[in-house]
Amino acid sequence: MNPLFENDLRASRRELFGKTASGIGIAAIASLLEQEGMAAPPGKEKLAIPGLQGLPHFAPKAKRVVVLWQGGAPSHVDLFQHQPLLEQRRMQQVPDSIRSKGRLSTMTAGQKNYPVLPPIKPFKQYGKNGMWLSEMLPYTGGISDEICLINSMHTEAVNHAPGVTLFMTGSQIPGRPSMGAWATYGLGCVTSELPAFCVMTSMDTGKTCGQLFYDYYWGSGFLPSRYQGVRFRGEGDPVLYLADPSGTSRSLRRGQLDDISELNHRRLTEFGDPEIETRITQYEMAYKMQTSVPDLLDISKEPKSILDMYGPDVQRKGSFARNCLLARRLLERGVRFVQLMHAGWDQHGNLDTQLALQCKDTDQPSAALVMDLKQRGLLDDTIVLWGGEFGRTTFVQGDITKPNAHGRDHLGTCYSMWVAGGGFKGGTVYGKPDEYCYNVEADGVHPYDLQATILHQLGIEHTKLTYRYQGRDFRLTDVHGALVPGIIS
Amino acid sequence: MNLIFALNRASRLMAPLLAFAASSVCASPHKSSPPDNLRLRAPVDYSKDIRPILAINCFTCHGQDPLTRQGGLRLDTRDTAIASRPSGRAIDPGKPEKSDIIARINTSSSDLIMPPVASQHKLSAEQKRLLSLWVQQGAPYADHWAFSPITRPAQPKIKGTQSAWIRNPIDSFVMHGLQKAGLIPAPEADRYTLIRRLSLDLTGLAPAQSDVAAFMSDGSKQAYEHAVDRLLNSPRYGEYWARMWLDLMRYADTQGYEKDNPRTIWRYRDWVIDAFNTDMPYDRFTVEQLAGDLLPNPTDSQLLATACHRNTMTNTEGGVDPEEFRVAAIKDRVDTTGQVWMGLTIGCAKCHSHKYDPVTNQEYYRFYALFNQTADANYGDETPTAQMPSEDQRKKLAEVQGRVISLRESFNRDSPNLDAQQPAWEKQLAASRTWSNASHIEAKAESGATIHARADGALLVSGTHKDKDVYTLTCAVPAGGITAMRLEALKDPSLPNGGPGRDAADQNVVTSEITIESIAPNAAAGSKLALTNARADFEQGGWPVSAAIDGNPDTGWAFSPQNAQAHVAIFDLKSPLPAVDANQQVRLTIRQNYARLQHGCFRISFSSSDPKLLQPTADDISEIAARAAAKRSDADRQRLKEAFRQTHAPTDAIWKQIAAAEAEQKTLEASIPRIPIMKELTTDKQRVTRIHRRGNFMDPGDTVTPAVPAAFGALPAGAPPNRLGAAQWLVSKSNPLTPRVAVNRIWARMFGVGIVETEEDFGTQGVPPSNPDLLNYLAASFRDDMGWSFKKLCKTIVMSSTYRQASVATPLKKKIDPRNLLLSRGPRFRMTAEMIRDQALAVSGLLSSKMYGPSMMPPQPSGIWRTVYSGMKWETSKGEDRYRRGLYTFWRRSSPYPAMTTFDAGSGEFCVVRRIRTNTPLQALVTLNDPAYIEAAGALGKAMLAASPTDVQQRIVTGFRRTLVRVPYPAEASRLVALYRLTLAGFKAKPEAAKSLLAAANLSASEDRGAELAACITVANVLLNLDETVSKP
Repeated sequence: MNPLFENDLRASRRELFGKTASGIGIAAIASLLEQEGMAAPPGKEKLAIPGLQGLPHFAPKAKRVVVLWQGGAPSHVDLFQHQPLLEQRRMQQVPDSIRSKGRLSTMTAGQKNYPVLPPIKPFKQYGKNGMWLSEMLPYTGGISDEICLINSMHTEAVNHAPGVTLFMTGSQIPGRPSMGAWATYGLGCVTSELPAFCVMTSMDTGKTCGQLFYDYYWGSGFLPSRYQGVRFRGEGDPVLYLADPSGTSRSLRRGQLDDISELNHRRLTEFGDPEIETRITQYEMAYKMQTSVPDLLDISKEPKSILDMYGPDVQRKGSFARNCLLARRLLERGVRFVQLMHAGWDQHGNLDTQLALQCKDTDQPSAALVMDLKQRGLLDDTIVLWGGEFGRTTFVQGDITKPNAHGRDHLGTCYSMWVAGGGFKGGTVYGKPDEYCYNVEADGVHPYDLQATILHQLGIEHTKLTYRYQGRDFRLTDVHGALVPGIIS
Repeated sequence: MNLIFALNRASRLMAPLLAFAASSVCASPHKSSPPDNLRLRAPVDYSKDIRPILAINCFTCHGQDPLTRQGGLRLDTRDTAIASRPSGRAIDPGKPEKSDIIARINTSSSDLIMPPVASQHKLSAEQKRLLSLWVQQGAPYADHWAFSPITRPAQPKIKGTQSAWIRNPIDSFVMHGLQKAGLIPAPEADRYTLIRRLSLDLTGLAPAQSDVAAFMSDGSKQAYEHAVDRLLNSPRYGEYWARMWLDLMRYADTQGYEKDNPRTIWRYRDWVIDAFNTDMPYDRFTVEQLAGDLLPNPTDSQLLATACHRNTMTNTEGGVDPEEFRVAAIKDRVDTTGQVWMGLTIGCAKCHSHKYDPVTNQEYYRFYALFNQTADANYGDETPTAQMPSEDQRKKLAEVQGRVISLRESFNRDSPNLDAQQPAWEKQLAASRTWSNASHIEAKAESGATIHARADGALLVSGTHKDKDVYTLTCAVPAGGITAMRLEALKDPSLPNGGPGRDAADQNVVTSEITIESIAPNAAAGSKLALTNARADFEQGGWPVSAAIDGNPDTGWAFSPQNAQAHVAIFDLKSPLPAVDANQQVRLTIRQNYARLQHGCFRISFSSSDPKLLQPTADDISEIAARAAAKRSDADRQRLKEAFRQTHAPTDAIWKQIAAAEAEQKTLEASIPRIPIMKELTTDKQRVTRIHRRGNFMDPGDTVTPAVPAAFGALPAGAPPNRLGAAQWLVSKSNPLTPRVAVNRIWARMFGVGIVETEEDFGTQGVPPSNPDLLNYLAASFRDDMGWSFKKLCKTIVMSSTYRQASVATPLKKKIDPRNLLLSRGPRFRMTAEMIRDQALAVSGLLSSKMYGPSMMPPQPSGIWRTVYSGMKWETSKGEDRYRRGLYTFWRRSSPYPAMTTFDAGSGEFCVVRRIRTNTPLQALVTLNDPAYIEAAGALGKAMLAASPTDVQQRIVTGFRRTLVRVPYPAEASRLVALYRLTLAGFKAKPEAAKSLLAAANLSASEDRGAELAACITVANVLLNLDETVSKP
């Protein structure tokens, strides 16, 4: 797609039909026709916000995505990669041959000793498939038959912000469009009453993690700004400027909008500028959003059984658990892409105390979301992605003799993420790490590969969803990425 | 042997997949085609018809890049394309039947077909026919239009009635296009529209009521021109156009990346405003920004201009490799320079040669080499920086400096009387000792490090070395008591690199806090003695010695970059400690909290002399006094004289004034912002530039020398091979892109779309100009006639009839010219984020006209900013600073001002050539509900209420005219009057609702006639949300 045609995407129907002769605006026409139910083939989504012509490229397995981002980098050594040999090698050095392949952050690059610290808690087998996971993740264990655990993730990034930016935008340097922006740009959205791409953030209960979440993790980069994620906030208006000014009743606001519309219509008649028509629609959508957002956030009608699933934290606004429940409510209302950003996994020096707490914050709600989607029949076409920017070192960082003064540093050469729903293979463990959970031995999955696969499940060929900017056709996966057939069914 | 083009071979190498091939088809803009019979006779235009086909389908494997070239065949130059080859000629001019490329594009063999199947490219029948025809016509090549020299086109002669419409050459070129399309221009817009349009285009603001009145009442023929001149001379002009330039220069008030710490660079923003307001010619504007520091004897202003490319991001996240981000910044500068000045997507060539435009991979790094010699290197403190005083500060500084000089003159003035007294004083001083080494009773380090005394009284630290340490020293009080204490950081061969610090990687020391208390012998606690007047021989920027006694454990005294030298600091006791008995003791605590940077060798001494005599120098004044007159240096003599006069009347009084003036000077200097600037490395420190293979800085390839891409000439004769040369080359006559790109940019801001729509891409993949002659005329005229003056260019454009058209789109025009590329009517489009905000403030009377200075923090919902590192806070500006123009808003890259990003303002991370206009419901929420807009509605409502004591119509018309300038149609007014009446009834019934609306609008709840005011605010809120309000008319 070419930015040239931006204007046309906004043009009115009448305008678009007038343009077919010159071949411009076909994309928008196709979508508008679909929207009116005139040309939508059976089984295709009816879009309220049009996507691009020709998309999806093929029949999609998934229609929605929810990212459960675990910022700070969860320890794959302690949680996901069952490697009994590590216990035998406790306090032995991680060999140079193992360590030489990766780049370390400058925090431990100068360390002299690299003794193995085995998982701090035992692993257990879960589910019909017998998946090994830490005993700190009992709820995740409970959904192990739904999840595809990828134990061979690897990335060049060794610092938080570049790592998150790479996963979310396909570049370590901020400024490119995020995955959610690409998805909504390409596919549009079935609802116009809520933003197509929604973001919510949460912090670990201990607030031990220094990482912040930046707007560029859900930015639209050089894509038009309407594709940027809209952050639902924990304080004030849930969506910025959602509330009418105090003293303005809904009926007064309705009256104002009617007048705005009337005056705009007069202008449209006089000047014939189709942009005025767009403006009229825009104000009506805003009005609807003012009702639909509070409705979305009101969980008072959720049955107790559902609230109990997500755990006691669900009662706390801004918690990860509450956000998981809201994610489900967004997805069932037709939102395309939901990104939950949770911070709390950066255990450099407090592994013993904080890791278990972090698991407690996230384990139950993450599993609940998967189960909740499943019982509503939404899991089949919703991708649920869980993970962080990289993994953590097998060797210890800090003083192992002191209980609250050691942990693990960042490790990019090997880590884990899991995916559920959306046609991903449940009950599978993919990829082969080495004996130290330090490097990937076989079936490596780079963020670009996972991005390509997620887009594939959405019906997008990742090399074909491009946008011309500064003379180059950019895409989410830059010039990389390959579909990972082993993780999808 | 030609593998690719051997027709009779059964197999061939597969061409590599094009990395970016997928959607490039969209870029072909040519749709119209004349009937067949005409086409045979019409010559094929290489640039228009052929090059785009070749560029997209062939050049990836048969272009300028030797690394990706297949079969040794190059089709982008005629010589290589028509060369005789073993298999024949790829192109045989005039003979399509003998040309391999024609055979290969038409073959039915899927193994042989070109472009290869695997490339996913396919030629249409029309494209094949064009290629054949072109070969038949002799396969003429032509340079890409934008890379060809600018030739001034002849003005089309417009005959007949339409000739009256021609006001200036722009109109001739436009009318020529309209006539070809069978269209006539729109009538001239009415005066209300014209003044609003002009004002918005030239100053970014709606016209003031007084400007409207002046224009309406000016009956002269030059009324319009007067308005234009007035607006061009308004300081608001520079503020508006600066914002456009700041988008290009990715201006922001923070460093970007994870930490996103604050950056002080707003003086550059002010420089840009001034440059526009003083109409600095674009060539000078260019040279000063890119290379002001390399000009002979650069002025402050020229140095400040170079902050332009210091707007690149800096990454100070823990654990990053600074070189990685230095390189990223240089590449950003190279790419941005190509984009902004030449409309070239040069950045495409950093991993491989440009696929479509003449910039090879090697040429990219040769151009990069021109920018690769600056001293900045991703430093957290933005080094190199320079103090950039404002005019006001400069004056104040000059005044106080002058005062210090004249005071010093009177202080040092010849005085036989004083000179006569001095020797006796010296003698007395020589006999005394100003400093005596502390006599240590105990010295301990919290870390457990060992402390030994050296023969000269210094203490030497060894053994355990932890991140932080606290030294505690117990000393006897000397017989004369204590007036001051001295801390010397000294060298010792036992220390890493000789010290003074203990750390092997860094010899610096951070003295976080030093305290002294008086204690009875063996007592645990004593009474604290306050320290004052800290002074040192050297202070690191941001680490002054005063910070060692400020009570803050996170600040301190340090001495980088003089890390390897001995240093001395002196602290006076606020009240001297008299010696009362021989057993009296003091305890010193030296806290060192900065990781590992601790004293390795140091000495404590005490003085009982007048603190005025005590200077933080290696030499002690009593030693100098003891020195024989013949052995004293000039500096010694001066120091003795000063010390004597400081302590004796009448000069001691002058000294007090000097101290006060110097303190004032220091405060003033500290308040002058330090701005990041460009600084070239000295010859001996210059970097060797190597190609980065596949764009990876960790994989260096061949060494390259600095140069500009060959397709665009060479550095001008005599120009140095550095940034200055590059800047001179950009604005030289031989560079045809710079003026074209510049005039197109201004045009695009006024008309919504550039003559070249892809403002960022004038290369072969960009959209060709909708009116090439008009573009060339403007470019030639801007450079050669107007002397690169933006104001003259703006004036020429707005004086044209083309610009003055009404923006009414008739059905015929919408059919023939739907996007108004032919300019068959006036421009009409939504305004920018800043314009919408500024307009709301302006029409409501809130807008402050205050210019310049640190960026402002207008109201923003709480919780937008989250910081952990810097403690940055959004502190809402007070007074008129709350209502400054949008361009003065503090711009934090990781969390930019939300009300403006919603309207497409960028984050400031990268150069934005044009903001793509979008429409989302969130925009409606901003202008309907953002407290800033409600406050504007409040002020506007108040003005409406004040317009008439009783007449509602009058109030409505007032609000309408303030907002939209024009008079409302009766139907519009009556609709708003109805809203007013209905709302008023509601507020009268519910006075508390009126009160809360007033409060939301930042008005006092006790305002008179609250219900009426609330009704006015409601109408004002509607007015600020009309499409007409947010659109340029």
